[in-house]
Amino acid sequence: MLESAELYFNVDHGYLEGLVRGCKASLLTQQDYVNLVQCETLEDLKIHLQTTDYGNFLANETNPLTVSKIDTEMRKKLCREFEYFRNHSLDPLSTFFTYMTCSYMIDNVILLMNGALQKKSVKEILVKCHPLGRFTEMEAVNIAETPSDLFSAVLVETPLAPFFQDCMSENTLDELNIEILRNKLYKSYLEAFYKFCKNHGDVTAEIMCPILEFEADRRAFTITLNSFGTELSKGDRETLYPTCGKLYPEGLRLLAQAEDFEQMKMVADHYGVYKPLFEAVGDGSGGKSLEDVFYEHEVKMNVLAFSRQFHYGVFYAYTKLKEQEMRNIVWIAECISQRHRTKINSYIPIL
Amino acid sequence: MSGKDRIEIFPSRMAQTIMKARLKGAQTGRNLLKKKSDALTLRFRQILKKIIETKMLMGEVMREAAFSLAEAKFTAGDFSTTVIQNVNKAQVKIRAKKDNVAGVTLPVFEHYHEGTDSYELTGLARGGEQLAKLKRNYAKAVELLVELASLQSSFPGLNVPLLTSSQSWMRESGKSSIG
Repeated sequence: MLESAELYFNVDHGYLEGLVRGCKASLLTQQDYVNLVQCETLEDLKIHLQTTDYGNFLANETNPLTVSKIDTEMRKKLCREFEYFRNHSLDPLSTFFTYMTCSYMIDNVILLMNGALQKKSVKEILVKCHPLGRFTEMEAVNIAETPSDLFSAVLVETPLAPFFQDCMSENTLDELNIEILRNKLYKSYLEAFYKFCKNHGDVTAEIMCPILEFEADRRAFTITLNSFGTELSKGDRETLYPTCGKLYPEGLRLLAQAEDFEQMKMVADHYGVYKPLFEAVGDGSGGKSLEDVFYEHEVKMNVLAFSRQFHYGVFYAYTKLKEQEMRNIVWIAECISQRHRTKINSYIPIL
Repeated sequence: MSGKDRIEIFPSRMAQTIMKARLKGAQTGRNLLKKKSDALTLRFRQILKKIIETKMLMGEVMREAAFSLAEAKFTAGDFSTTVIQNVNKAQVKIRAKKDNVAGVTLPVFEHYHEGTDSYELTGLARGGEQLAKLKRNYAKAVELLVELASLQSSFPGLNVPLLTSSQSWMRESGKSSIG
């Protein structure tokens, strides 16, 4: 099994793997972050970023420099890199890339559906869609009147069609709350992605499956935590948990019954991976929140993906790490521009 | 006794009684005006003090709220389009009431909540905790804004009657220096 990966991987995907490893080497280091944190204004931040791989990406921006401009330009850069990888890829790597873009497509589709229902102009919503989640039928969305029409006319052609099937089988799309729809779509997407990686086998499965299992369990924990005190019933909550994680099936059943953070923690204590994570959560406003702890664990797993060769996980890991870096830079920029420096060091360090 | 304020009168006992009654009436009127101007001044000073306190608090609260927006964006990603698209009815509404101070009616705004939170499930899968904190901070900011609006709209409502009543009082004081 492993021999085949070493022998044949580079034929189709060697160039791209080399490229992505080069891109990974240019992620910001701890020293870069220390420099950024010491900036007094956004102009200083821009000057510091010029010395990194970002280069002159803000050179064409007019004054005044705002945090949203920085964010937009960084995202454009990531999209350019991603599109380059995608355009040069062959199957099955190109299918892998399609799976990666599905999560952004889900967000875009929800936005478009909402906008179409409220008769907003399609153009202004298209501007706000995530560029990585573009699909060709996006502009055709305004012809539909109801979500079911939208599905049968437009969405059937997209890669998202199988995910909608799972939601349609219970209710019609019209009755579902938009957030519940989003979470249901994401659940079927995650399970499909996991099956794809597992069936591919080889090193890809060894690297990607733990990452996707963690993502599934993390979603289960977060949904549980955020649904305390809302009108979401326990039965509804259970239908939103992805089943491709370590928690399936007993953990998910226990989680569905949990009513506060302590009970959730008890469920996590049964699993060796999650026990230390929950113990690292500080209480109240002083320490780290559960989400921060999850982000850190995700970053660690993504960095470890680069320690093996000949698999597709490096592309997934690079995209996620780049996004985390973007979030870090935006956080530091906001702290600087709002002159609120007390929490400026709560970014997630990557390398 | 100045020349122009002299009243031409025939010096008789009845004229004196009538004059005394007029003087009494004028003095009572002047005292009432003084009381009104005092009450208005007191209310004016209270409102001014509250406006200053509220404005300082407002600065702090807005800063805190803007920072919690940055925190929420860090964890939950960009949810601004979702929020803007799902706007329908207002949750916090204002009632206008009237308050009476020494005969002057002042408007007072009072906020009340109506309806449920339509953004309850936003951030369900990511960033829900930070979004809840954000909602609380901005709700506090809105309540403070309503209070500030109430104070600032009663300010000119008080100002004009205060000035006119103190002017009238000055005029009357000048006039009733008869005797």
